[in-house]
Amino acid sequence: METLWLVVLGTLATGYFTLAGFDYGTGLLLPFRRRDEALSRMTPFFLGNEVWLVAAVGVLLAAFPRLEGELLSGSHSVFTLLLAGLVLFMAAVQLRLWWWLVFTGALMVSVGWGLFLAHLLDAPPFVALVMPVLFAVHGWVFQNRRWALFPVSAALCALPIPLAFGTIDVSGLMAHPATLTLLAWVAIPVIPLVVVLQWSIVAISSR
Amino acid sequence: MSAVDLARLQFATTTSFHFLFVLLTLGLVTLLVVMQTRFTITGARVHERMTLFWGRIYVINYALGIVTGIVMEFQFGLNWSGLATYAGDVFGAPLAVETLVAFFLESTFLGLWIFGWGKLNRWLHLSLLYLTALTAFASAFWIMAANGFLQNPVGHRVDGNVLRLTDFGALLTNPAFVHALPHVISAALTVGGVFLTGVSAYHFIKRTPEADFFRRSLRMGVVTTALATPVLFTFGITQLNVVSELQPHKNEAASWIGLPLGFMILIGLGLTVVSWLTLPLLARDAVIRMRFPLYLMVIGIPVPFAAAIFGWLYREVGRQPWVVYGLLRTEDAVSHVDAGQILLSLIVFTSLFVVLAGVDWVLIARAVRRGPDVAPAPVSPLVVTL
Repeated sequence: METLWLVVLGTLATGYFTLAGFDYGTGLLLPFRRRDEALSRMTPFFLGNEVWLVAAVGVLLAAFPRLEGELLSGSHSVFTLLLAGLVLFMAAVQLRLWWWLVFTGALMVSVGWGLFLAHLLDAPPFVALVMPVLFAVHGWVFQNRRWALFPVSAALCALPIPLAFGTIDVSGLMAHPATLTLLAWVAIPVIPLVVVLQWSIVAISSR
Repeated sequence: MSAVDLARLQFATTTSFHFLFVLLTLGLVTLLVVMQTRFTITGARVHERMTLFWGRIYVINYALGIVTGIVMEFQFGLNWSGLATYAGDVFGAPLAVETLVAFFLESTFLGLWIFGWGKLNRWLHLSLLYLTALTAFASAFWIMAANGFLQNPVGHRVDGNVLRLTDFGALLTNPAFVHALPHVISAALTVGGVFLTGVSAYHFIKRTPEADFFRRSLRMGVVTTALATPVLFTFGITQLNVVSELQPHKNEAASWIGLPLGFMILIGLGLTVVSWLTLPLLARDAVIRMRFPLYLMVIGIPVPFAAAIFGWLYREVGRQPWVVYGLLRTEDAVSHVDAGQILLSLIVFTSLFVVLAGVDWVLIARAVRRGPDVAPAPVSPLVVTL
């Protein structure tokens, strides 16, 4: 049961970092690119990418209720930075507000994830800069359509997940089997369904 | 202020802002379903243009509402880790089902609907809007189930110092849930109806040349309001009976608690009466030719939003000092975080949300003023472009 839920959570987190990663990367590279073109290339993917985070946090709350609070409240101000960045980034991208707001939002989100990672790994704060760099590389690969490199940069963006999971001992923090069984019925069919549907958005919008 | 007070204030602020977006989203998506169904069946251009015009407003509101929702979700872990620790096994289940089945799927269907405009078979495209609406209502369903549990905890047993889920079905037959759900849904439909009416009235005041377009919209708005408000009112009253049984001390939770309740009841009653009085005046456009009701319709747009916030204030403040009624006190649920950190996030998110609500207002107002029939955007006519 434990392994199953770590896999589900890992899948959702990987989905978030590999997909939203190129959104943030696109945002970080905006000062150096043709901005309208870069943003419209990302638009069809955008909403689908960001919702993986919502799903991941939902699973974290229900399957690991005693972990979620510790993780989040333990880095309260880091998440304030991260979420404020996410609010600015999402609003600015979806409404095509000023490009520097997209950039600032992306920077806040990626530094926020970096700080959270550094906190989990007990690493010095400058390690936080790894995340903006990885996202920027991933964004570059996406924007230049180097599809052969895409799995590589995606894997790099997801690399912090096993590192972070390695620092956490979940035994005793998980929900009771009754709750987990119920959730399994929901989570396991939904994730592949969303993947197929999101894939069709991409297929349709590139027609 | 203590950490508990700040965390409560932040929760109240975030939820209130989030709910304003949610109400309009739910109300509009339902009306869009009607519009696009008519377009798909009849093929009439006016229904297509209505779907596009109101759909654009819906998408703007959804895009900004989603952002407040994300902050909302994180807040449980950030400020209320005691709630997840104690009741997460039970309370977390409907919340997780909401994020996965409803929200995760809803945004994906919506994305397909937006980018599939003009590219998919008409019926397939319509079914995507149905699925978006269905998952939006599912969202409301699961959120209200979770909230119903906090109001009246059922389906659990106490196991040491945590709660365990014993009967998921009991969460769904909880009286604190079954009466509140239709109340919230009819509130959203009322918001949608009043919004359609008010915006259409604005265009009649401006004498926009789109008379047929806005006559249809105005009628749809008035009829929706007239159908939704009696349901809204009825389930409001039945809830008062439920509350007096389940939470007998609700009215003593704060000295001013009767005030929002009173305002909400007055607004609900007012909207019911006014919408039914307007119905006969729809004949031969009497209400449009009289003109002065049009101004009232525009002024009326924020009224049901205010009533909804009053309703939540009563429901949530009235539950104090409990976060899980009778089981977990609010002060025991708050995270072990410095008051300063909570204050920082309170200031940051409150100011961001004020700006966000302002931007939502400005963008919707701009889309409204621009009226129907805008030159198609490069990606999809539904993608928000300024």
